Amino acid sequence: MSEEMLELTVDKFTFRVPKSLYFNDAGIWVRPEGSVARLGLSDFAQQRSGDMAFAEVKPVGTVLKPGDEFASVETIKVNISLPSPVTGALVEVNTELQDAPELINQDPYGKGWFAVVELTDWANDKVRLLDAEAYYALIQRQAEEELEKQ
Amino acid sequence: MPDLPKKKVGIVACSGEEMAEGTVTRLAALRVLEQLRPNETVTICLPLFLAGGEGDRAFARFYPTIAIDGCDKRCAARGTEMYSGKPAASIVVTDAIQTNHLGTARRLSEAGMQAVDVVAEQVTQQVDELLGVKWDRKQGQSSKEAQPAEGLEAKIATCSCGSGIPIQKVQLDGQEVSFIALPLIFEQFRDAGKLPGDGTTAELMETVKVYNPIPDGQEAAYAQAVTREYTAFCQEKN
Amino acid sequence: MNRVVIVPCSGIGKSYGTVAREGAYVVTEDLRPDTTQLVPLSLLVLGDEQARADVSGAQAITIDGCKLACATKMVAESGGTVAHDLAVLDVYRRHRNLKPAGIAELNKGGQRLAQALAEEVATLVDEMTGEVKNA
Repeated sequence: MSEEMLELTVDKFTFRVPKSLYFNDAGIWVRPEGSVARLGLSDFAQQRSGDMAFAEVKPVGTVLKPGDEFASVETIKVNISLPSPVTGALVEVNTELQDAPELINQDPYGKGWFAVVELTDWANDKVRLLDAEAYYALIQRQAEEELEKQ
Repeated sequence: MPDLPKKKVGIVACSGEEMAEGTVTRLAALRVLEQLRPNETVTICLPLFLAGGEGDRAFARFYPTIAIDGCDKRCAARGTEMYSGKPAASIVVTDAIQTNHLGTARRLSEAGMQAVDVVAEQVTQQVDELLGVKWDRKQGQSSKEAQPAEGLEAKIATCSCGSGIPIQKVQLDGQEVSFIALPLIFEQFRDAGKLPGDGTTAELMETVKVYNPIPDGQEAAYAQAVTREYTAFCQEKN
Repeated sequence: MNRVVIVPCSGIGKSYGTVAREGAYVVTEDLRPDTTQLVPLSLLVLGDEQARADVSGAQAITIDGCKLACATKMVAESGGTVAHDLAVLDVYRRHRNLKPAGIAELNKGGQRLAQALAEEVATLVDEMTGEVKNA
């Protein structure tokens, strides 16, 4: 995928943030596609979590509001519940993640997508989300906090 | 030469599997990374480095590294020099420890664990020394100069939180090529009044080459791309 | 017949690298010492004559910690023949209860995962050498 990115480099790690996406605080990205939105896990969040061992997504038809778990991932470091950033219903899930969760690490903004949601309240959801610049600032702060903790 | 604070040191251990000394390097490196100097060091994973890990190679090009090898085959030191640059320091366990009774590669003896202590201490001393002196990437050696002036961190283009090596992707002959440290190099050249032009290109490329290997036969194409990026950089600043 | 060459990644950044390393030792020292041989990846990549000779003409099983697959990639690029490539991450997915932790020293889960990995490798070695071992 070639799209414009913001890049944050810390030590030997580079975290990419596509300028066209929206994000919630947990690092779930949202790509609006007309009346639906595709969801995934940001590059920063996937790198922090580590190598994906398992990924489970709620089934098609699941109704979501912001904050509801729409998926979960497990690495050797963490088990994370992923909160929905939008309101709507799941209309498509990425079944590839069952056998190849490493797609989340390898291509977080492309083949590592989790689910597609039919949006029912995008105008209000969008206001609550972070654009790329705001998310970049957030991960920059989080990275600084981690460095200070060391 | 971009004049950046040297915040971290990369540690490259050979982790050789055939000899106890290889295991000593691994454990000594981890002791330094996890316990002795966790804030000042970064692990460079040798297999990832050799296989083409971009982040590790970029880091090792930009910051000083300490290679820890089990024997005089010096895989960690040679690998680092091959793909990034000469390590700032190189420790070989068979030079540092005068005993053969270190145990096996799989299980170190008590002497082997003491060897880990000794090597870890040597690495720590090297880390402290490197962070106390200026690292000259061009010469591949340290010089005993004062720390860079205050306020330099504000010039780092990408990130103020960490050691911040900017990696920039540039279009070159229809392909995307990653360059490290371009914004920093451009900033210094512009600040020195060296604006885009024939007279500046050669010097600019000499500096770019310190951090970015240029394939044989592609010098002209790389120079054109870098000049284009530098021109755009200066126009944006005006 | 040449011994089967075992090449672990020994990555130092994650537990998986240590599991790969330990698993390789279990195979080559405990389970199949007569039919396998461990070859250090770095020596091979940097052109060590003995390492290249050991790999040349032999079949290799690479053990990678994660999906970056450094050992598999570098053995192939160094002229080796990768008969099988295992990723510790995949083995962990088959043994979810054996969660590894620690890099310098593996936890119990990691040690048991290394054993499980080694047993998978040993089975592959037997297939490759035409040997049948009793459980």
